Amino acid sequence: MRQLVDGKNLPILIVLATIVVVWYAAAIMMNAPWQQTLDQRAGLENVPFTQFAVSTWSQDKPVLPSAHQVIGEIWTATIGTDIASKRSLAYHAGITLSATLLGFALGTLLGIGLAVVIVHNDASDRSLMPWIIASQTIPILAIAPMVVVGLGAVGVTGLLPKALISMYLSFFPVVVGMVKGLRTPEAIQLDLMRTYSASPWQVFSKLRWPSAIPFLFASMKVGIAISLIGAVVGELSNNAGGGLGVRLLTGSYNGQTVQIWAALFIAAGLAAMLVIAVGAAEAMANRRMGARA
Amino acid sequence: MASVVSAKNLGLTFSTNDGDVIALSDVNLEIGTGEFVSFIGPSGCGKTTFLRVIADLEQPTSGRITVNGTSPGDARLNRAYGYVFQAPALYPWRTIEQNVALPLEIMGLSDRAARIKRTLELVNLAGFEKKYPWQLSGGMQQRASIARALSFDADLLLMDEPFGALDEIVRDHLNSELLKLWARTKKTIAFVTHSIPEAVYLSTKIVVMSPRPGRVTDIIESDLPAERPLDIRETPEFLRLAARVRDGLRAGHSYEE
Repeated sequence: MRQLVDGKNLPILIVLATIVVVWYAAAIMMNAPWQQTLDQRAGLENVPFTQFAVSTWSQDKPVLPSAHQVIGEIWTATIGTDIASKRSLAYHAGITLSATLLGFALGTLLGIGLAVVIVHNDASDRSLMPWIIASQTIPILAIAPMVVVGLGAVGVTGLLPKALISMYLSFFPVVVGMVKGLRTPEAIQLDLMRTYSASPWQVFSKLRWPSAIPFLFASMKVGIAISLIGAVVGELSNNAGGGLGVRLLTGSYNGQTVQIWAALFIAAGLAAMLVIAVGAAEAMANRRMGARA
Repeated sequence: MASVVSAKNLGLTFSTNDGDVIALSDVNLEIGTGEFVSFIGPSGCGKTTFLRVIADLEQPTSGRITVNGTSPGDARLNRAYGYVFQAPALYPWRTIEQNVALPLEIMGLSDRAARIKRTLELVNLAGFEKKYPWQLSGGMQQRASIARALSFDADLLLMDEPFGALDEIVRDHLNSELLKLWARTKKTIAFVTHSIPEAVYLSTKIVVMSPRPGRVTDIIESDLPAERPLDIRETPEFLRLAARVRDGLRAGHSYEE
């Protein structure tokens, strides 16, 4: 009990409990009209409130599914289903995850490459940066179908088109972060390298790159989360390929709200795991670079 | 005595948005092998700029300067000098021994372990090899940066107010250590400071400079003995030299607003 009060657990539990209460209350309110129709059709009158509430939490196609319905759906669609089956959420999550990771890797490499060019060449700073910023003002929902359909027309299908959309989103925070990071060395540290007559490559590898590492990880945390969004948006344009985006889309076609929410929760969980993984890599790098414990 | 640095009518003018700033004008100076030369003057007198010209970090706009008989640029490429900055400028992601190894890695020098061991002993930092900079005090960090400048055995050591940010007690201690280090290594040292006692205590030659335009107003050869305990600063000889430095500064209008 002491540990509960002293630690961080209590506030977390309070927030969680509040969410659950608000969720179930909202489910009653939002599902009530349809439940009333159902009760009328069944000829039920003067239904007690508790029975009415329980019914709103277990509708077949509720406006807002209750938490236990979503968790139940996640359970049956992952653990309860063969992973090779197209009904398995784990199968679809796997497709989305591979597109996310490929796009994230490509985006990070592209971002680092562009940042290196920009930092070392003044002209490219002024010529490239406006285009890089402009690229992010275009709604990704407008670009994604063109990329998927366009690449499909030349025979490129499957993982790559979706990964390219992830890349398109995730390179941006990496460019911005790394340009800043590669420019952090102070004049005195650059002067020091000059007194050693260090080559540009030595200045980069021994000074600029290590200075930029904290910025790289901060950018990658943002990048990996929007990579997942990119992959899901890419899947919306190509429902033959599978993935969480396809589950969202078919769920909304068929009014399967429970399926939509289950896919949303899996996507959110996936994003959380990915951000945590980047955080763990960051902690490891920090330890190796002698950061203050 | 061979000349390590030789400047003739050296001038340097910075062009800024507010017009030209004359950082150095008509500087004539010889630094001989094994000398300990201090540059003293108020801010803006060009003492740091002169050191940076020797190091090829700034380009003079008039006059001539040679370092080891060559241009400063060639001297830099020949790794003729070690430079100690106002701040330690240690790389926080490297341990002390890795920081000292930095120039060795860049210059591709061999027997790194032996060089690191020897230079860390010279600055009394043996036992701190595996520490990171943040684990050391300011004075120890600056000693590590001196070790880094010594590690590749350049004969000339350029020091730009290396102890300026340290408190007086640490500073006294490091000054006497620096003198011992100089006696043992027989290096030529050019040392920028704005402290009169520091300049007199350390130097064989004191160059007094004054601002607007930056110029040399006096060059004082010190007649203090090579052996200098800290309490030499109370002797009449020491005080006479300090007074002459102060006179030089006053003559250059350094005390005026």
